[in-house]
Amino acid sequence: MSGLWRGIALAVARTAVTLLLASVVIFVLLRLVPGDPAQVALGVDATPEAVAATRAHFGLDRPWVIQYGEWMGGLLTGHFGESFVSGQDLSAIILDRTNVTLWLVIPSVVLALLIAAVLGTWAALRRGKVDGFLITVGSQLLMAVPGFLAGVLLVLLFSLALGWLPPSGWVVPSDAFGPFLARLVLPVLALTAVQAAILTRYVRSAVLDVSGADFLREARAKGLSRSEAMLRHGLRNVAVPVLTVTGVQLSSLLVGAVVIESVFDVPGVGSLLVEAVGQRDMVSIQGIVMVLVAFTVIVNLAVDLLQTLVDPRLRVSPRVSGAAA
Amino acid sequence: MRRPNVSLWIGGVLTALVVLTAVVSVFWTPFDPTAADASQRLLGPGGEHALGTDKFGRDVLSQIMAGSRVTLVVGLVSVGIALIIGTPLGIIAGMRRGWVEEAILRFSDLLLAFPALLLAIVFAAVFGAGTVSAMVAIGLGSVPGFARVARSATLSIMRLEFVVAARASGRSAWGVGVLHVLPNLVGLLLVQSTVTFSLAVLAEAALSYLGLGTPPPEPSWGRLLQEAQPFLAAQPLLTVWPGAAIALTVLGLNLLGDGLRDRLSVGRDGR
Amino acid sequence: MPTRTSGTNPAHRRRALDPGTASQSGPSAPGLPSRRAVLAGAVTAAASTWLLAACDAGHTARDAVAAAPPGAVTLALTAPPANLDFTTTSGAAIPQALMGNVYEGLVAVNDDGELVPALASAWSVDEGGTRYTFELQKGVRFSNGDEFSSATVKFSLERVNTDAWTNGLKAGMALLERVETPDPLTAVAVLKRPSLAWLRSLATLIGAMFTPSAVTGLKGSAVGTGPFEVSSWKPGQSLALTRRADYWGEPAASPQVTLRYYADNTTAVNALRGGAVDAVVGLASPELLAPFEKNPEYRITQGTSTGEVVLSMNNQAAPFTDVRVRQAVMYGVDRAGVLASAYDGRGTLIGAPVPPTAPYFEDLTGAYPYNPARATELLKEAGVYGTTVTFSVPDLPYAVAASQAVASDLTKVGLKVKIKVQEFPAVWLQEVLTAHRFQLSVIAHVEPDDLLTLLSSGYYLGYDGARVASIAAAADAGDTREYIAGMREVVRQAIVEDAAADTLFLLPALSLMRASLRGLPVNSPTTALELSRVVKA
Repeated sequence: MSGLWRGIALAVARTAVTLLLASVVIFVLLRLVPGDPAQVALGVDATPEAVAATRAHFGLDRPWVIQYGEWMGGLLTGHFGESFVSGQDLSAIILDRTNVTLWLVIPSVVLALLIAAVLGTWAALRRGKVDGFLITVGSQLLMAVPGFLAGVLLVLLFSLALGWLPPSGWVVPSDAFGPFLARLVLPVLALTAVQAAILTRYVRSAVLDVSGADFLREARAKGLSRSEAMLRHGLRNVAVPVLTVTGVQLSSLLVGAVVIESVFDVPGVGSLLVEAVGQRDMVSIQGIVMVLVAFTVIVNLAVDLLQTLVDPRLRVSPRVSGAAA
Repeated sequence: MRRPNVSLWIGGVLTALVVLTAVVSVFWTPFDPTAADASQRLLGPGGEHALGTDKFGRDVLSQIMAGSRVTLVVGLVSVGIALIIGTPLGIIAGMRRGWVEEAILRFSDLLLAFPALLLAIVFAAVFGAGTVSAMVAIGLGSVPGFARVARSATLSIMRLEFVVAARASGRSAWGVGVLHVLPNLVGLLLVQSTVTFSLAVLAEAALSYLGLGTPPPEPSWGRLLQEAQPFLAAQPLLTVWPGAAIALTVLGLNLLGDGLRDRLSVGRDGR
Repeated sequence: MPTRTSGTNPAHRRRALDPGTASQSGPSAPGLPSRRAVLAGAVTAAASTWLLAACDAGHTARDAVAAAPPGAVTLALTAPPANLDFTTTSGAAIPQALMGNVYEGLVAVNDDGELVPALASAWSVDEGGTRYTFELQKGVRFSNGDEFSSATVKFSLERVNTDAWTNGLKAGMALLERVETPDPLTAVAVLKRPSLAWLRSLATLIGAMFTPSAVTGLKGSAVGTGPFEVSSWKPGQSLALTRRADYWGEPAASPQVTLRYYADNTTAVNALRGGAVDAVVGLASPELLAPFEKNPEYRITQGTSTGEVVLSMNNQAAPFTDVRVRQAVMYGVDRAGVLASAYDGRGTLIGAPVPPTAPYFEDLTGAYPYNPARATELLKEAGVYGTTVTFSVPDLPYAVAASQAVASDLTKVGLKVKIKVQEFPAVWLQEVLTAHRFQLSVIAHVEPDDLLTLLSSGYYLGYDGARVASIAAAADAGDTREYIAGMREVVRQAIVEDAAADTLFLLPALSLMRASLRGLPVNSPTTALELSRVVKA
């Protein structure tokens, strides 16, 4: 018992350390940006006095340590500060735009997981047969298509040629749910396609690994059918590596969706980051990157904890075979 | 594997084709890939320009050929960065437990907290967008992967009899690391490299699409794709050529990785 | 990569090296909630927390669908304003959205480029040319209820010359001595010296009328006398303008006009096709128009703008300190070819940074005909044949496109060109416009009447403004005829003789709209986009 809880405490502590280190890295990195943020915010013809006043207003004239402390203090109380460029309070904006991206990412990861579970298992059980081979080839091909190309082609087909779905845009879900869903379909589909291809390969490989394992043979020797043995004993062994991959996909997609957001005009957090980079809006960039990093780290932690819960027998580090795919 | 290793063959041929194209393009392309000619704009395929011309009147085939260089450079440099940083870290972490390992683990966790695309976008803000920023970002983002592979393999190698014997005979940790561990890692790292390489190719394309990748006029497949987008309705082939180039390269690398894995029985070593 | 993790096989990547909490856990012990319960609880809690917030996802970026009244118009644009305060932020995006719609000046410029009355119903100038008397419109109120009077005029115009304004265009107001207010409906502007250009500049953003009670927080709010007020602003995303019922003039035709800002032209055009917007204004990828040309459901308008695309050669940096090298560039760039490549041939060749709507326009396209042989000759004469120059290009579609055509042309005549793309506005403004760290660059100068700004000493072109300053001053002080002749002289000296900069072409004002949309201005003689007549038929 104590082992489990100590493990959890240790993992949480490590996560906190990572977050702290990451915040320092982000803060320092953005101080290396050439140019004076106040000058950038005011434009080229600003008088030196105006620039100095702005520097003072945003506290840029104070030592880094103080600036970092204030930023951290703000973050811990949920305040991301005020944008140099638009003068808006960033807290609401960053979290809201993150939610938009989650609407794309979570459904597509869940959907991809379901598709992959079916196709991957199928491909593994039918290894060496035509249909198994076709699934493998299909997932290989799908993985090789750049995400935005997939998005552009989906728009071309479903919106411009067939006219079934709106080509782009975003509607606040609580405002009009139907139109919201209609606009969600294509971007989610574009993300799902590639995710499903990746996960299918993982599921297939995990199932192959497991189906050759000793405990399955034992189970079958005890008279269980192949599928029974698989369900009772194999499932959690497949779940661990697949869960691991899913966690990684979830966090990397939060930024990775930016390309799809750009194609489909979705106001997600990735687009917000690219906008902020274009404007050199340092306070925004700093806040957005911190949110994304925190999300990644927390998802990693969650996956760790889930692994422990799903498969306590896991003694060695997750045995995602090197083969994986 | 009793049946012929199809993945290895197809992947190898596709990859070789890309490398060959890149090498040839250094010495010869049908036209100068960056030479614009407004009188030759948007020609269809066939005729003098085998794959047609773009909106500047530049030869598309020449650009695709020259673009393979950027692709290879981005892939090689990214993989190189990840390999050079990640492998030693992984080996050291595998050989030395205690605080060294813990420090490496924390560093690796830190890198893991920054997905490569995020790193690339931030680097674009800090150091300016361009091929170098992109390569470094993708490379750094790939370090934890190499480190993990190297460490877990090192852990099992260290338990092998001849290594235990070597250590017992008083060989230094360095000697063991270089003479015994590293050679046993080559296969694994090769597989890891092909996978990273294919991700780097896709990453470069995505960054170019966002305008954060290779700057013009250096031909890059990602930027060709982005420049072709407005012509999608009128000249779809302009999108097809670079799209196919990227897809075939990534496919080739993925298949090559799979094939190597099967051939070297990497990862199915049944620890 | 967009959808994949970096690095490697995802499973390898995660928890890269960590011995992992997994190995730490002991066997499950009785007396604790089962793992499944813990798991389910955690997941449920996280999911419900998120769903609560997620139902409003995007509310900081999009307006509610129902909020738009019937007849509301939505226009797609591609350059979002960073904020709403043009007194401290330069760039064309803010005045484009707000001037003439929210803010008004004493005078305005109509679609044909003529000066017309606005908040001043009439004006006169004394014989010395330094005292302008404006008669003001009666019954004008700001959208917050404040009254518009001569005191407002005095406040607004004199404020331009204080530190409250940091926009570089404030220089246009420098010659204002003071504003007198003999009565609430009469304002007298006293200039330090006579100027014809000053009156015209009142139609631009420096002539905007502000009310003293609403000049704090200008970045996020705008209070003006115009036909619209800002009803919603989502930075980087959209700006909704709602019709004012209490507008002093003819009310706007539409109850609401929303400006939606898209990341690129392709997405904007897709939005038009999908029905999310009624028009794409200022389309910068003319290639996208091809499928619409013969479609009766859509209309394409092409007008003139004031955006001169200028290939700038840093007159203060080698090799462009040598006039022969600058002339070589003028001869060596095939401007018609550049226009074809960069803007699909839509646009006008003008030969000098003066749009055809300017009173002193003169066709100078023949001054430097395309002559690569002559260009090579000049480069050899100047001893720089084969030299490499760096071309700092802002990451705007037309600029990136034009730069590639220009680079190819210059390479052919013997100047090697290295293109360096810089983010616009942040990096480009800093490097090129402010620090003058560049050799070649290209940008559209969109401010109306910006010729003298371009040619002033200390501006990024590096031209020695003293060479034309006296001619320009004499022109500004004279009558209209002298003004035109004088300004033409300035152009001939600076552009033809000194080859200060190569004007590649004039950007077209391109719009693509549903055929049912009416009242969208065709030309853009100022940076303002007048929206009061826009309406769905």
